[in-house]
Parts: sequence; structure tokens; C-alpha cells
Amino acid sequence: MKLTATAAHAPFTLPLSARQREKLFWALLMLLALAAFALLLLGPLYSLLSKSVADGSGQFVGLANFNAYLAGGGIQRGLSHSLWIASSSMLIVVSLAFACAWALTRTRLPLRGVIKALLMLPILAPSLLPALSLIYLFGEQGIFKSWLGDTSIYGPLGIVLGSCFWTFPHALMILLTAMSHADARHYEAADVLRASAWRTFFTVTLPNARYGLVSAAFVVFILVFTDFGVPKVIGGNYEVLATDIYKQVIGQQKFEMGAVISVLLLLPALLAFVADRWVQRRQAASVTARAVPYSPKTNRRRDLTGALLLSPVLGFILLVVGMAIYASLVRYWPYNLDLTLRNYEFGRMDGGGWSAYANSLTLASLTLLVGTSVVFFNAWLSERTPQPKPLLALFQLCSLLPLAVPGLTLGLAYIFFFNHPANPLNGLYGGMAILVMCTVAHFYSVAHLTALTSLKQLDQEFEAVGQSLRASRWRMLRQVTLPLSAPTLLDIALYLFVNAMTTVSAVIFLYGPDTALAAVAVLNMDEAGDTAPAAAMAVTIMATCLLAKGVHCLLSLWLTRHTQHWRGRA
Amino acid sequence: MHAHGLSLANINKHFGHFHALRDIDLQINAGELVCFLGPSGCGKTTLLRIIAGLEQQDRGSITQNGRDISALPPRERDFGIVFQSYALFPNLSVFDNVAFGLRSLKWAKAAIKTRVMSLLDLIGLADQARKYPNQLSGGQQQRVALARAMAPEPGLLLLDEPLSALDARVRQHLRREIRSLQQQLGVTTILVTHDQEEALTMADRVVVMNHGVIEQVGSPLEIYQQPASAFVADFVGAMNFVDSTLTSTQQAQVGEQLFNLPSPAGQQGSALRLAIRPEEVELCSRSGDSLPVVVEQLDFLGTYIRSHVHVPSLNQRLIVDIDPRSARALNLALGQHLGMRLPANALRCFAA
Repeated sequence: MKLTATAAHAPFTLPLSARQREKLFWALLMLLALAAFALLLLGPLYSLLSKSVADGSGQFVGLANFNAYLAGGGIQRGLSHSLWIASSSMLIVVSLAFACAWALTRTRLPLRGVIKALLMLPILAPSLLPALSLIYLFGEQGIFKSWLGDTSIYGPLGIVLGSCFWTFPHALMILLTAMSHADARHYEAADVLRASAWRTFFTVTLPNARYGLVSAAFVVFILVFTDFGVPKVIGGNYEVLATDIYKQVIGQQKFEMGAVISVLLLLPALLAFVADRWVQRRQAASVTARAVPYSPKTNRRRDLTGALLLSPVLGFILLVVGMAIYASLVRYWPYNLDLTLRNYEFGRMDGGGWSAYANSLTLASLTLLVGTSVVFFNAWLSERTPQPKPLLALFQLCSLLPLAVPGLTLGLAYIFFFNHPANPLNGLYGGMAILVMCTVAHFYSVAHLTALTSLKQLDQEFEAVGQSLRASRWRMLRQVTLPLSAPTLLDIALYLFVNAMTTVSAVIFLYGPDTALAAVAVLNMDEAGDTAPAAAMAVTIMATCLLAKGVHCLLSLWLTRHTQHWRGRA
Repeated sequence: MHAHGLSLANINKHFGHFHALRDIDLQINAGELVCFLGPSGCGKTTLLRIIAGLEQQDRGSITQNGRDISALPPRERDFGIVFQSYALFPNLSVFDNVAFGLRSLKWAKAAIKTRVMSLLDLIGLADQARKYPNQLSGGQQQRVALARAMAPEPGLLLLDEPLSALDARVRQHLRREIRSLQQQLGVTTILVTHDQEEALTMADRVVVMNHGVIEQVGSPLEIYQQPASAFVADFVGAMNFVDSTLTSTQQAQVGEQLFNLPSPAGQQGSALRLAIRPEEVELCSRSGDSLPVVVEQLDFLGTYIRSHVHVPSLNQRLIVDIDPRSARALNLALGQHLGMRLPANALRCFAA
């Protein structure tokens, strides 16, 4: 009787238990997240792939475009150049970063914190800044032009130097993490067994850092291989895949060719990504019981070695940054070296001026707000709510995929997908919304991994206790998970802000007349011959990121002070 | 407080191909403390999580105080839970941790304060109410976790290895404290542990589990003195096993030796495992009615001496626990030749 009465009142109620209803609710939210991925990542990538196997009118032509590109000498031109640049930068950066990481973790040099902060400086600048700076240092009218003899900075040398500058902090971060996890007991054992300093290095230090080294190598390789800014500014006639895409699409309007090269750009990146994941999984398996943290003893000779290793890298970074700032302040290089702020009057130049800067600030702030909340919520959904295994696997794949998709590829994919007349969202094209969507998608993976790591560190039983105390998952999120994750949220916010501020590659195809961006303006001013204003804009971007980093530090400090009572000494 | 009983019927759970729980039937009476005891991987924690609703059984039903809760999510069941890791919320004070469940139930502010303070009084931490979990010792944290679980007056308290992370001295103290608290409040309690001492000292009844099935349910004394299977006999306390053959229904032969059994143990000719606790074995000077043995190892364990003796006629070693006074009387020493008796009423028989 009771059953029929209920059924009459709610004819559409599914015959589910309370437990099944709850599971269904969370699974639906996860499906929503997956739908967003389909829209922002999978759909565009599919459009790109189908474009690469179609002719100008949309007819399927198989691999004809690829054949045409190869026949046109694309391999010799773009691919081999890109591979060469990426591998040599990788070798240089990884060895230097390893040396610096060693000096920072294995010696007791004074001011290590300051040195580390300075070494990380390039991460706050757009990749165009070192390229511009190198032109002032080694270009036709460069200060040190004579040092290069007959070699021109415009070409592979410039690209490698510039790439090394901006990818260095990425490698350093990975290696610092890898090397600060050292186990003091290994070093004590080596000491007791009377191993020499060299033998200790080769049997303890190096093997422990090997996964970090491999990971850093992959990361640098992908970054350089897919970078567009540096080769565009300082590459001269030396073509790489990234600049070739730009030329095909913007210069010659050959979208299929752009798609073909994008796919070629995607494949090695995807390969490196898969290899890196594989290595990292092995690393996770090799982590053993809790180690005793290592702290180096005073050793004058080792400190001196560390100082010798650090100085050239530090010198180069400061030189490049200093040159960019100086060049942006000089009236007319190299003839009139009076200092002026004229180059910062962007209104006088093409490229968008201060409104481009304002747009970048808007983009970075929106990316920070939208990105941080979406990334954290999705990570929470996947880690802290009951989810069916297939959905979870799909989500993990989607959230890591952006790491393997080069910015240019993503940007071009967005054109094909959102600019398609049949797409109801094509009104978004050229607007701020699509820029935010693309930027969030582009930088999703690292933010996601950060959030996930922090969530995994919370006690797995919190949710169970919360349920036994009749607290909803929302209340648990609000009162326990969010307060505990605040420092991570700050880190993610900074990461997204800085990257949105400095990125060029993904947004270069997507900005419209009203949404020109600061980093793109750097490129355009440089192209128009306004090198000094371009440097000024690059410096402005860096200063903004530095300011953001400062705010991040203050907020972190405030947070530490206000949560110290329950966080304790750790 | 009103206490509830709990009954489990035909509970089954698979993880992939692994049959984690097999046909579990169990009746837990209102107000009693029941211990799930077993080696790791025996299914005891899985069973606890199924009772809590944190895992879903494949088959079977759970009834709490007459209400079928088999399909309810944890939030709609009536229990409090304490984990080995305490799982206290580190950003909330002791007071707020204990009040957490009461706020879910929308208790009035004044009522919450009264309830929390009386619980903190009960566990002796009233003066620590404003402190945060990381400012407390492990034992204190565990007591706060207990108070938090008890605050909403649940009909069932679940304790998942609650004392395993603590050092021995604190553990012994907390055992007594939890037990007396549980008896004061009269709450039905399930304690999961792999520590037999914990099970024997705290429980009204012990449920011994192995490989996903219940081996025996009984009072601590029953479990120890009348183990239902060789597994229980071996897992709870120390036990000597001797393989033998029945020569009649009540007489077993080991090597050349015949033993009279306390009760009929099966058909003539069938194989049998005889079991005897180390403290039940008697050592004496060599005589006609005793088995000759050689002392091979002596471990001094404080209140008693654990000796390993070789018995040539059984062709095996046995463990014998002997109190220091008897040891002195025998002049117990390594390599000594002694006699040994196995009292018939202390022998237990298990099918081989």
C-alpha cells in the first residue's frame, strides 16, 4: 500500500536505494567534468586531427597533407631543427640544473635561499624576454657581438641560449625535489665504509637523482620542442616546427598544413610524456621506508666547488634579466644611451599598448579564479568522492593529457573546433572567454597534479569519520578539506596566474581585436621593429609576475602565522 | 542511553577474484563488546567497514535493532567510528572536533557545550578543550577521537585497531579506559584487532576470523581453553602440536607412546593432531611414567621461563613454560635430561 502511494506521488523516482542515489549524484558531477574536458580538449584535438587528413574544402584525403609536407622538405627544415634544438638545450639545461641543485642541497653556502630565488627568476618572465635580451647582448649591435666572431646569434645558437634561460627553473625545481629527498643514512654508510667523495657521488648521489634527471630531461625537451616565442624572435631564417606552423597559418592561411605540423609537434611530445609517466611510476615503486633527512656538514672545499658551479649560471641569468631591463630604459640603442621611460609609453606603438596589458591582467586573474576552483574541485571529486572506476580512469587520462599537448597545437585545435560554423559556441571566438578556457586547459595538468598530491596527503579516513558524524561531503569540503588545502590553493593560483601572464603559444591564434595580450604585444612590437618597447613590455610582464609572487609570499606567510597553532612545527 | 543489538546474515564480499568474506552470520547483543580477531588479510576490517556502510557487501543483510540497514549509506546508519590514525581534524580544536557530529544534528549551542564538556570530563581532557590535535600526545588524541565518536550517542561504536599506533604502556592504560567507558555508557561496541592480548583482556566475546570465515565465537576463556579449530588454538596463545593416530576412540598413539584422551575423538585408525598449551606440560625428574626429554633452549621471559625441549620418542621439539620456582626445584639447565608428562585433561584434539 505504502509503496503504491509513494509511486503515485513521484512517478519518475527511480527505484534506487539511498546509497545508489548518492553514488549517482557524484558520478553525474564527474560526468560534468568529463563533458568539460570533451569540450575544451578532446573536441578541439579531434577537429585538429581530422583537419590534418582533409583538404582545403574538407574532403578526406588520407595522409596526402603529410606526404606533401615531407616532400616539401619539412623534415629537413622543421623537424630535424626542432629535434636538434630540443636535445642540445636539454643536455645543457639538465647538466647545469643538476650542478646547481647539487650545490644548493649538498653544501652549506650562505644565502642559498636568495640564490635559489634568483635562479628561479626566469620562470616569471615570458620566453620572449631572453630572446630580446640576447639580441641586445649578441645581436648586430650587441655589446658582446665580437665574442661570437662570425657566428650569428640569430639562429640555432640564439634559440638554444634563450631556451636554456627560460627552461632552467623547470629542470631545477624537479632536481631540487629529487635531491632533497636524500637519505642521510646512505651518506653515513658511505662514510663509515670509507668511500671517497667521488665514489659517494657516483654510488649515492647520482643514482638517487636518476629519476629526477630523466624527468627533468623529458620536461625540458618538451618545453623547447614545442616553444614558439624564442625561435620566433631570435631564430632568424632557422625554421623550427613551431615557427613553421605560425607561418603556414598566419602567413599563408594554409590551415591543413598547420594541422599537419601540429600533429608532428604533438607526437614526440606525447611520446616523451608517456615515457616520463612510465619512469615516474617506477620511481613511486622504488620509494622505501621513511628516510632520515640529509643535512650537509661544513666542508670548505665542497662549498667552494658549489660556488664555482653556481656562479656562471647565476651570472648568465642576471645578465639576461639585467640587459632586458637596461635595454627597455635606453632612449635609442646603441647611439643614445640616455635613460628614459619613453619605451613604456605603449600607447605610441602598435600591438595593443596598455590595453593589451590590461587584457593580460584580466586573462590571468580569470584563469586564476576559474582554473584554481575548477582544478581543485575536480581533483577533490576524483580523490574524495565515490566514483566508478571507468569514469575515474577517463578523468585521470584527460587531466594529464594537456601536459603532452603543445600550446600552438592546442591553440590551432581551438580555431578548428570553435571557429567551425556548425559549432554553436563559435561566437566565443576572439573573445576573452575562449582565451580563459584555452589557458585553463593548457596549464591544467601541473595544477591538477599539485592539487592531487596535496589531497592524497590528507588522512584517507576523514571522509569515513565525516559520514559517521552525519556531515555531508560539502560540509567536510568546507570545514576540513579546504582549510587544510589553503597553501596548495595559493600555489596553484600563482602557477596559473604567472603562466597566463607569460604564455604566447596557445593564445597567439585566439586573440581578437579587443583582446590583444601583453605577451603577444611583445611579439608584434618586435616584429614591427620596436625592439625596445618589446623589451619594456616583457619587463613589465616580469615585474607583474614578480609582484604576484610577492603577494603569494605575503599570503603564505599570513596563512602560516594564522594556522601555525594547528599545523605545528611542520 | 539506549543500546542496540546487531545481526549479520550471510554476508559475502569479493574483491575481484578474492573472496574476502564468506557466509558471515553473527549476532551481537546490545551493550556487549565484541572483538574481531585475526591475522592481517582475514577480513576483519572489511567486515567492520561493511557494518559501517563504507564498503558494500555483495550478498547478505545487516539488521540493527530490528531495522534493515543493508543498503543505507553510512550517513543514515547509527554508529560512531575510531580509526588507528585517529583521523582527528587538525584544523579544529579538541572542542570543535568533539562537537562536529552534534553540529550535523543541529543541536542547540548550549546543549552542545554541555555534552562536549561532559565527555571531555569523562576522558580527563576538559582542560585541553581549546588545544589542537597536534598539541596532544598520541594517547590523548585517541581519547579525543573516542569522545568525538561517542558524542552523538550512537547505538554502535566501531573501533578499527584503535591502539595499534600507541606504545605498550599507553596501550595497556587505554585498554582499561576504553573498556570502562564502554561499560559506563553501555554502548554496543565492535573492536577490530590483530592483538590477541587486547582481544582477550577487553572483549565480552571474541570472533576469531581467518581467510574470510569465522573460525570461532566465544568468551575469551572459551577461545583460549576450548579452541574450536587448530587455527584458533595456534593463533590465540602458544600451542604445541603433535601428530598422532587413533588406536581406539579414546586413545591416541604417537610413535611408541599411547595417550588417553579426555573424550572420544573419532574412529580407530584416523589421523589426529593433539594440542597442548606450553604451561600445561609438566617437567619432572626422569621416572617410569614420564617421557624422557632433553632441554635444548631456555628463554628467560620475566614471570616464566620458556624452554624448548627435545622429545626423542616423539621425534620433535615442544615448548614448555615453567615458573621460576619449579625451575629452581628442577635445577633447570641447558642439556639437562628430564622427564615430561602431558596431562590427559589438558590435551585437545583436532582432525589432521
